[in-house]
Amino acid sequence: MSAQGARILVVDDEKQIRRMLKAALEGYGYDIAEAASGHEGLSQTSIFHPDVVILDLGLPDMDGIEVIERLREWTEVPVIVLSVREHEDDKVRALDAGADDYVTKPFGMGELLARLRAALRRMARSEDEPVLALGELSLDLARRSVTVRGEEVKLTPTEYEVLKYLARKAGRVVTHRQLLLEIWGSNYQEHSQYLRVYIGQLRRKIEADPSQPAYIITEPGVGYRLVAAD
Amino acid sequence: MNIGANDPYKHQKSFQGHLFLGSSPENYLWAVLSIFAVTVFGQVLTPHLDLTNIVLIYLLPVLISAVRWGRGPAFLASSLGALAFNFFFVPPIFTFAVADIQHFFTLVVYLLVALVTSTLATKLRDEMHKATQGEQRALALYDLSREIAARSDFDQVLKTFVDKVAQAIDGMAIVLVHDPQTNAMEQIASEGADSFFDKKEYAVARQVLEQGRPAGKGLGIFEGERSLFFFPVRAEDRTLAVLGIRPGGEASSLSPDQTQLVETLSNLAAVIIVRLELAKEAEQAKWLAESERLHRTLLNSISHDFRTPLASIMGAVTSLIDEKDIYTPETRGMFLGTIREEARRMNRFVENLLDMVRLESGTLKLNMKVCDIQDIIGVVLREMRDTLTGHPVKVDIPPDAPSVMADFILIEQVVINLLENAAKYSPPDVPVSISVGVREKDLVLTVANAGPSIPGEEREHVFDKFYRQSSTRHVSGTGLGLFICKGIIEAHGGRIWIDPSPEQGNRFSFSLAAAGEAPDRQNS
Repeated sequence: MSAQGARILVVDDEKQIRRMLKAALEGYGYDIAEAASGHEGLSQTSIFHPDVVILDLGLPDMDGIEVIERLREWTEVPVIVLSVREHEDDKVRALDAGADDYVTKPFGMGELLARLRAALRRMARSEDEPVLALGELSLDLARRSVTVRGEEVKLTPTEYEVLKYLARKAGRVVTHRQLLLEIWGSNYQEHSQYLRVYIGQLRRKIEADPSQPAYIITEPGVGYRLVAAD
Repeated sequence: MNIGANDPYKHQKSFQGHLFLGSSPENYLWAVLSIFAVTVFGQVLTPHLDLTNIVLIYLLPVLISAVRWGRGPAFLASSLGALAFNFFFVPPIFTFAVADIQHFFTLVVYLLVALVTSTLATKLRDEMHKATQGEQRALALYDLSREIAARSDFDQVLKTFVDKVAQAIDGMAIVLVHDPQTNAMEQIASEGADSFFDKKEYAVARQVLEQGRPAGKGLGIFEGERSLFFFPVRAEDRTLAVLGIRPGGEASSLSPDQTQLVETLSNLAAVIIVRLELAKEAEQAKWLAESERLHRTLLNSISHDFRTPLASIMGAVTSLIDEKDIYTPETRGMFLGTIREEARRMNRFVENLLDMVRLESGTLKLNMKVCDIQDIIGVVLREMRDTLTGHPVKVDIPPDAPSVMADFILIEQVVINLLENAAKYSPPDVPVSISVGVREKDLVLTVANAGPSIPGEEREHVFDKFYRQSSTRHVSGTGLGLFICKGIIEAHGGRIWIDPSPEQGNRFSFSLAAAGEAPDRQNS
């Protein structure tokens, strides 16, 4: 699962951002290509065959959401979106259009690297790994058992499903809609208020301090993210 | 108001008025009938009374006519009375001839007395009438000015005005206020007067505005088919507006009293409009001064609060670039930490500025959803991990804390600002605390520190825009954080306050309505 040599396409119209990302990411051993517009990004994707696309939503020539939709017509390449705080709806729309994750500008390099690794892991991971482990939290999918800090925790079937879905996408953001669709199916809207409740219950069972969660992180206005506790 | 040299009284009298001297035909009939009655009565009494006494009875209908029916009928009664007396009572009877010179004298005196009395009585009647009218007018004006004083909104005041005018003339009224800047006329019509005039009549209104003279039947420039009158509303040399009226009922013209009333009313309208314009100008001047002050403060704030972190960043970066070998790894780490923290601070400052602009411009959109306060606090603490190093944070959330209907990100911003202040204004290692409680149906979140207390007299100003405490001006800050907190919380229908007792440090709290069993509006 080494990041060495992974190919990353940076699509951003700001030259400074591209230059900074290129320098920083090359330092970590990634292979970088740049595009300054949506159209260039689309054509570069088919030429460069990146393993991950980092896409700024505010492009001069076309809507970032449209870029994602056009990409998704032919490729499953992970897309990480760069957005600003004010545009929560854009993030959700980008994620629903098929983006894998987002980073809010201004961002720390550590945060971006974590998202990159999670996105690359998605491509590497096989779907039927029997045990998912994140720090001191582990899910044994075959036995449907969950252990935290060495102790097994009892989860209700729904709690288990929610945690399993988050764990499969560990490190990546999961939108409210995705979770609701996965757990409750197409008539999920009736159950939307329960999601908060289940997340609260899960936190009480697996977090050391539920008021400062270390595993299940809330992404304001977007959804949740399961991370390895640090 | 000046309506020109034309005496409206002269022109006011309608065709009908010219013929009957302002009294209706019925009144003349009554005068005739009364003379007839007196003649019959006199015939009955004639065997017992002297002629000179009978002529006195004939004064009765003249007086009654003068008081009740007006000058015309009184004159008619006088003349008819003289004729009837002559014909039926003065010998030779049933002729208009007069045999006795004495009787001729009686007749002449009767006629003179009748005419003089009726003139006097009519005058008295007119005076009385005028007094009543004046009283009514005074009442109407008093009513109007009282109602207008209670309002300050331009359109509302004028609406009240036209409604009163419409009521006073028992018809419809409209006021067209001229805007000298756009040269447009804003219309404010009384109830039910929406299609007050047609295109041609509107043009007349414009003409009245330009010439400053009234128009309408009998008033000058315009002699329309419909009964429609325009009066200029003037103050000094300027015509401010045009008052249009359309009397109701059968009347196709304005009576002198109505004309006078409308003139008085349009004088009042002039006073009102001038007053409102002055108020508007004062308001605008105040607004301009305020926005200029804001502008200046904002510029000062930006230049200071952007430059302070920028200075730190520049200092650290240039040190690292120029002399990277003389620093120990710890010092280099310190420089880099400074750069990161200062950049974060600038970002928060930008967010606060943007929030302020949104609050001020009213474009702040609340994305209301059911939120757990614990969740918000968790996100805030994670976000502020680095800023809060050195300040132990105590969190106290009861397990049964209710959820709230709120915009997660904005409330997050409020808690971040409160927490940042709590840390910023207290010495290192002083703990800060976040606690949640329930007060009636509200959830109350309190952020407290044990730092130096804000003096009592400054407490009420901490939520003001750009307000900085005098004792802590050395601490970099914008004076925007708490102002934005207040704006956001109030937009949520909540309340934000600082604990009034300074003894126990500074306690900032806000309340939000608990979501209760309200249906969840979450839709994602």
